[in-house]
Amino acid sequence: MTELIQFVIDVLALGGAYALMALGLVIVYGILKLVNFAYGELIMVAGYTLFLMDGTGLPWLVMAAVAVLMSIFFGVATDYVAFRPVRAKSVTAVLITSFAFSTILQNAALLFISPRARNIPLPDVFSTTVTIGGAVTPLRNLLTIAATIVMLTLFTWLMRRSILGIAMRAAATNFTMARMLGVPANLIISSAFAISGLLAGVVSLFWLGRIGSVVPGIGLEPLLVAFIATVIGGMRSVPGAVLGGFLLALIDTSLNHILPQDLLKFRDAFTFSFVILILLWKPDGLIKGPASGQRT
Amino acid sequence: MNRHTLTVASLCGLLLMLVFISYAVDVRVFTRIATTLCINVVMVVGLQSFMGNTGILSFAHIGFMGVGAYTSALLTIPAQMRGMALPDLYPFMEGLSASPILAIFLGGIVAAVVAAAVSYPLMRLSDAAAVITSFALLVVLHTVMLHWSEVTNGPRTLFGLPAITSLPLTAIVAAGAIAVALMFKESRLGILARATRDDETAARAMGINTPRVRWLAFILSALLAGIGGGLWGHFVGSFSPKAFYLKETFVILGMLVIGGPGTITGAVLGVFIVTAAFESLRTLEVVLNSAQIFSGQVVGFTEIVLAFSMIAVLALRPGGLVPTREIGDAIVGLIRKRKG
Amino acid sequence: MIEITNLDVRYGAIRAIKDVSLNVQQGELVTVLGANGAGKSTLMLTIAGALKAAGGKITFDGRDVTAATPEKMVRYGIAMVPETRDVFPDLTVVENLRLGAYLHRSDKAGVMADMEKVKDLFPRLREREIQAAGTLSGGEQQMLVIARALMSRPKVLLLDEPSLGLAPTVVDQIFEMIRELKATGITILLVEQNATKALQVADRAYVMQLGEVVVQGSAEEIAGSSDLSALYLGG
Repeated sequence: MTELIQFVIDVLALGGAYALMALGLVIVYGILKLVNFAYGELIMVAGYTLFLMDGTGLPWLVMAAVAVLMSIFFGVATDYVAFRPVRAKSVTAVLITSFAFSTILQNAALLFISPRARNIPLPDVFSTTVTIGGAVTPLRNLLTIAATIVMLTLFTWLMRRSILGIAMRAAATNFTMARMLGVPANLIISSAFAISGLLAGVVSLFWLGRIGSVVPGIGLEPLLVAFIATVIGGMRSVPGAVLGGFLLALIDTSLNHILPQDLLKFRDAFTFSFVILILLWKPDGLIKGPASGQRT
Repeated sequence: MNRHTLTVASLCGLLLMLVFISYAVDVRVFTRIATTLCINVVMVVGLQSFMGNTGILSFAHIGFMGVGAYTSALLTIPAQMRGMALPDLYPFMEGLSASPILAIFLGGIVAAVVAAAVSYPLMRLSDAAAVITSFALLVVLHTVMLHWSEVTNGPRTLFGLPAITSLPLTAIVAAGAIAVALMFKESRLGILARATRDDETAARAMGINTPRVRWLAFILSALLAGIGGGLWGHFVGSFSPKAFYLKETFVILGMLVIGGPGTITGAVLGVFIVTAAFESLRTLEVVLNSAQIFSGQVVGFTEIVLAFSMIAVLALRPGGLVPTREIGDAIVGLIRKRKG
Repeated sequence: MIEITNLDVRYGAIRAIKDVSLNVQQGELVTVLGANGAGKSTLMLTIAGALKAAGGKITFDGRDVTAATPEKMVRYGIAMVPETRDVFPDLTVVENLRLGAYLHRSDKAGVMADMEKVKDLFPRLREREIQAAGTLSGGEQQMLVIARALMSRPKVLLLDEPSLGLAPTVVDQIFEMIRELKATGITILLVEQNATKALQVADRAYVMQLGEVVVQGSAEEIAGSSDLSALYLGG
């Protein structure tokens, strides 16, 4: 029973982080049909912000807020550096420019900070452990679950209730028509990137919290997670992204328990095989996205 | 002489010039750079075969280079070294042996087989999903190379490959790659692939089996990548899985994008231009470092410049330097203009 | 109100609109007729700002709007209802309407009042207000896009082939609505293939063929002319 509770908490915490990660990717993809390869670097940015602010004596919450703001800033910067110059051209072009921007960011960290891992300040409350039904877990996991619920609620409210959210959903289906109703294109796009940055920023606090340090390449793993979660969940579907995130966390955590010791290091290969199976069954992902055509 | 022959001849001529200059200059560093350039031609032309014809961006290419390199290693590391280089090697593999040239070729075959086995389900995906999955495939190949110690020596350096790769060898293989790529491009399969690239729905309506066509193109590109990997393995003599990951992916992608993913001429030109730029920038980095102009080490500067160049090329000339017409086409066009 | 002079619009090398001049006065209903490919939709999209003109001038209330973006045109008071009937299929009817009022989003009370007015004008929309717009029938979608355009409180309504693909009874309803709209004083530029119906509601008409205006005049003149079918069939 204890093991089950442990398992559930692990999956929910991990799934929550994965889901938020995937959401940030989908929101940009849904509206702009663009895959943002520089997305993982937003976590790197948050990490280095925390590192650089270490020693300023500010309370951790303030540092965390600044880190999240930096994620948002670089998220919007991605639009200006990687997307705007090539937006009118092919989809492939944008993939490559965002990949290039990702390289720029990573190498900038390499160049201006250090290739070696740097420790980041974390609040004690992250590592304090808590016992639930016999299972011992760091408080951080529970905070992740709480944050996921809060962010998902905020996000849903934004997309369903606010005029900006409605405009963004409309732009995802038919950008030109939205503009013909007076919706300013640039605002929508910047908002998408900003929200994406906010989500990455929040996730980064927990992701970095698990690892404790930051390196230039830290963004790769979360990027991959976001990628896989969106592909299996359905690339243009918000609930799909969330579902994909939790499903991926479920698969990963299960494999952690199931695989024999010597095969554990190949866990990612197994996860990927699962993903291929899912894709064989449903090439467009598990949940179909919004319709992109219209009845005549 | 038809335009295809002209293209192959011109590009081979370029390679020939490179070899001549290298012998004339007779500087070790230059020969090394030239050899690496030829290996990159094999790699980038291989990537072009898939990307240019199917329109899908594949991040997995370098992974297959690794497969080729490790396969070739397994077949050629001399018996006496094998115990040290691969301490955990499976007993049945200890006796495996082949001549290096054959081993390089077999490296390509194994890479192609792996590609064939793994990639078919992925070929049903399009656009973003296909690219993302190819990225994940790269990660998986890397993970396997990193952890399958019995066969790859894990994250540690694998050494002992006989260093038989020479400039003439790589130039010949590069020429062969160019010829094969062009033959594929102009073959029925290549034309079908481009049909799926330009209009997937129409292609399907015509009865083209899109996944199958893409799959075959992917196998070809993996074959070339594997051969490139074998060549490279025997050039450096030792390597680790680190050599087959994102940084290298970025470089060959840069070469293809800047040169032009739609043409073989573009692929080759891209290799030349980026190699030249890269080496100059590296030299600059070294000079800056030894001159101690900046307090720390200048590292990563080259990659940043390459990245910005890629963005600039894509913004200003999205098809790359040579977007659609092969050099053979251009020459024929020029001759016609003169005549007419 | 709208003054178009020597307009030139290209799709790559193809000249879709050649040297077109027309005008629409306040309160008028002007219709543009012509067969497929005559350039009518291109004309509308260019006025709305979704397409760029290669040459010529468009002025609205004296202001040069040739290069204006779609967002700006809405702000100036021109609302476009495209031929493709672009409802946002995953948004509900109400959400579609709310989006139409984007310009006035801060005037919450006003927007609510507008929504009521528009639902009075199109009762079918009120019945289906919480349904996803993609589930509506063709005629209902047409009503929705007109209603949505009205939410921006436009001075001019650009209607592109509202009767396209609709059953004859529904077409009658749509044109009834157009008549009622005209009575409210709004200026309308109507593109139509259904010349008969269009000429019944219009004040003036232009006929386009292969990107050029070939005939213009009052609705009665055009309706009475026997050249119409020839122009449509390219005689």
